[in-house]
Amino acid sequence: MAKRSKPKHPLHVARIVVQLLFLGLFLGLLVLTARGAFAAVHPRLARLFLDTDPLVLTGMALAGVFTSGLLAALVIVVLSLILPRAYCGWICPLGTTMDIVDRLLFRKRDRSKNFTPRLRQIKYGLLAALLVLAVFRLGVFGWFDPICIMTRSVSAALYPMADQGAKAALVAAEEHGVGAAGRAYDWGVGSRVLVPETDLKKGGPGRGFGVGYEWAWVFTALFLAILGVQAYQRRFWCRNLCPLGALMGLLGSLSPLRPRVSAKCVSCDACRKGCKTGAFQHVEHRKRFTSLVQECIFCYACERDFCPEDAIRIGPGHANPIRPQPHVCPGRRALLGAAATGALLAPAFILDQRTRAKEETNPQFRPPGALRPDEDFMAACIRCGECMKVCPTNALHPTGIENGIGGLWTPSFVYNIGNCDYYCGVTKADVDAGLMDKPANLCGTVCPTGAIAKLSHEEKTKWKIGTAVFDHSRCLPWARGEECLTCEEQCPLPEKAISHQSQTVANLEWLKMPQDKRNRYDELAARQARGETLSAGEEKELAAMPPRTRTLALPYVLRDRCIGCGTCENVCPIDGPGGIRVERLQTREIK
Amino acid sequence: MNRDVTRRDFLRTAGAAGAVACAAWALGGCSGGATGEALKFRARPHPNAEAWKGRIGLAQGGDDPGRNVRAAVEKLCGPDGAKTFIRAGDIVVVKPNIGWAQVPEMAATVDPAVVAAVVRMCLEAGAKTVKVFDNTIGSGSKCYEFSGIEKAARDAGASPEQCAPHRFKRVAFDDPQVKRLREWPLYEEALAADVFVNVAVAKTHNASLVSLCMKNLMGIQGGDRGKMHQEIHQNLADLNCVIRPTFNILDATRVMAREGPGGGRKEFVAAAKTIVCGTSAVTVDAWGADPAHLPWMPGHHTLAEVKHITLGAAAGLGVADPAKIEVVA
Repeated sequence: MAKRSKPKHPLHVARIVVQLLFLGLFLGLLVLTARGAFAAVHPRLARLFLDTDPLVLTGMALAGVFTSGLLAALVIVVLSLILPRAYCGWICPLGTTMDIVDRLLFRKRDRSKNFTPRLRQIKYGLLAALLVLAVFRLGVFGWFDPICIMTRSVSAALYPMADQGAKAALVAAEEHGVGAAGRAYDWGVGSRVLVPETDLKKGGPGRGFGVGYEWAWVFTALFLAILGVQAYQRRFWCRNLCPLGALMGLLGSLSPLRPRVSAKCVSCDACRKGCKTGAFQHVEHRKRFTSLVQECIFCYACERDFCPEDAIRIGPGHANPIRPQPHVCPGRRALLGAAATGALLAPAFILDQRTRAKEETNPQFRPPGALRPDEDFMAACIRCGECMKVCPTNALHPTGIENGIGGLWTPSFVYNIGNCDYYCGVTKADVDAGLMDKPANLCGTVCPTGAIAKLSHEEKTKWKIGTAVFDHSRCLPWARGEECLTCEEQCPLPEKAISHQSQTVANLEWLKMPQDKRNRYDELAARQARGETLSAGEEKELAAMPPRTRTLALPYVLRDRCIGCGTCENVCPIDGPGGIRVERLQTREIK
Repeated sequence: MNRDVTRRDFLRTAGAAGAVACAAWALGGCSGGATGEALKFRARPHPNAEAWKGRIGLAQGGDDPGRNVRAAVEKLCGPDGAKTFIRAGDIVVVKPNIGWAQVPEMAATVDPAVVAAVVRMCLEAGAKTVKVFDNTIGSGSKCYEFSGIEKAARDAGASPEQCAPHRFKRVAFDDPQVKRLREWPLYEEALAADVFVNVAVAKTHNASLVSLCMKNLMGIQGGDRGKMHQEIHQNLADLNCVIRPTFNILDATRVMAREGPGGGRKEFVAAAKTIVCGTSAVTVDAWGADPAHLPWMPGHHTLAEVKHITLGAAAGLGVADPAKIEVVA
């Protein structure tokens, strides 16, 4: 880069400060939301970045889903009308992360020859296809929305990784005799900066793998790819792929505010090379460079950093009237093609979903309050991962394609990892004060689209997610004649959904005796039963043999009481799939 | 100022860092096995443990569970109270039942006033620190909050901490009286204490019939405790052979008379306003499990059916026959 002879534009400095503040806010809110009662007290703050996402608002409007919280996105819509993509340059936490990585790793890299204006069109095609899918009631635009990407990547992958890494380091230090490390660990857990292992079920003491999520490696890989592809082009994602950026660019197409190149321009190419998003371009038959309003993110670097002739000003004016912009928006034909692709994919996704819904092999268990039927949920869910982040027991995880490819990364319980917490979102103060009508499912509290409705404690503890079913080939009492009842013990319902009855069962110890001993046992027992008096020796012999039968407490599920919270499946002491598992079978019975 | 890092520099640095990391890893791996001396429960028994094996202190009535705690301890130990088993500078572990995310009125956890009274007694007797913890069944944060014990213990001067998984250490169950269990991970802080005070709440239990002092010790166990449920009575007796608390307190201020151990409805709870204490968990439990003494749901159990008590007595840990228990009231 050229030597910096001029001081930075004041708004350039302000922009960096604002970027860091918003990234800090995003991460701070995320850590606060991931632990503790913050989400219950400040739900709007917990979902601030998603509530203000215009792509979410647009997608939901097209899907016919409305929540008042999303109206906050109108603030950003208005901002975009005036300053088209200032959001990308100043606010977007993914954009800021890209800038930080770019500064750390690729600062000295000359990427000016990797100028690919045609690739920019992809984002408009993507936007068109995703919005058509939204009309078909599939909220899959969340796969590509940068706020959803950031939320998923950080909360389901990076934060758990940092948590585990910090714990591993502190534990190693503590075990080498560093007392301060132990105290730091206790402070971290006490203040909820680290995830308390005792809050997790199978992650609890003795097992302790901490909080973690399915698909974490994919989220990590995609996140790193988005950051790393900047080795080819700065802000590659924002220039070429981001559907939210595309939407904001289109919203602001008529804005008078933009970088304006004056007649002083000598076509030196410095602005094209220097601009983070490639918003300057040379246009044939024109003597000066032109700026593309849909690409500019108002970073305020151009005015003083690149242009040697002082020919660029950001602001309104008439010197450079709006004219057709080259390679910004794809042609009508391409756009229609993208929309048609979305329209073709939508029924394919839906067919896939319906076919797979008939399979019971890998059922999905939606959070309590999730819209029913599942088609409504799939329309409103934007796959952002907020519910998974806030789930206090780490029970909600992003699904794979069990429910069709359109359902990828929607939330589902994985009961082997966590259970739906009976007192989720409720504090002791609430119980003492009898305040049991406030939202008690944290997943519903933070859901930005209402795909998961807010439920009171009473509603939540009656919401049927599924039904527990004993697997008689695995359950210890049923399959192996051993005592257990751990599931009944831990069923959290005041009217337990699991009960037991003592029954006469075969005694395996008797079965272990060789046939002649069994015969002898039967003979002596039969004589005793007939009222014959056995000799002292015979009585002793009979008493030394294990009895033919024994009584054993056998557990049963009381189906109408069970809500499918999965505590029983989670605590089942069998390794591998539990002897009791929640199944979807009974959910069809309810509305 | 050319600060360019060459590839060679980078590889050299990365290699060195990797070697350090591997060394740290290897050291960490070794410390678990090679230097891990056999951990044992080392808390002192009560000086009169043998003489008082069949003796309990009892206090009943009133509306102050804390006062009942002091009264019961002084009945058993005399006016010196906790000073009979705590020396100045001791590290004391108080292990209440904090297992469930329920408010105190549900009787799923020890009354916070009881915990506070025990903590204060220990500090007054000269304890240097009093640690309060339980390996909870429900979510740790919720249990500590809902039971009211975290706040009560902290206000009383103790340091309540949540259990951390890496502090559970394998302990060999090599007591000659142990029949079934071979080893189990137990909480380091419990193993390192000078004095261990076991504070249980009186509850029914779906597998062990009652959950009193003997069962309460499961709160220092890590690992997969569901596996304790296979032959639970013998397992509890084995656990009590290895962990012999200095002092045992049974909080029967409220009794969960049925649907234990989780409960969750006030109809399951009966007021008993009773505190029992003793040097033997088995003896305290034998008195408490007797339907003649506490308001258990009629027909729920007979004392003879609570086999872990008789198995514990058979192992020499205490007295199972209430007729032979000397009650100092």
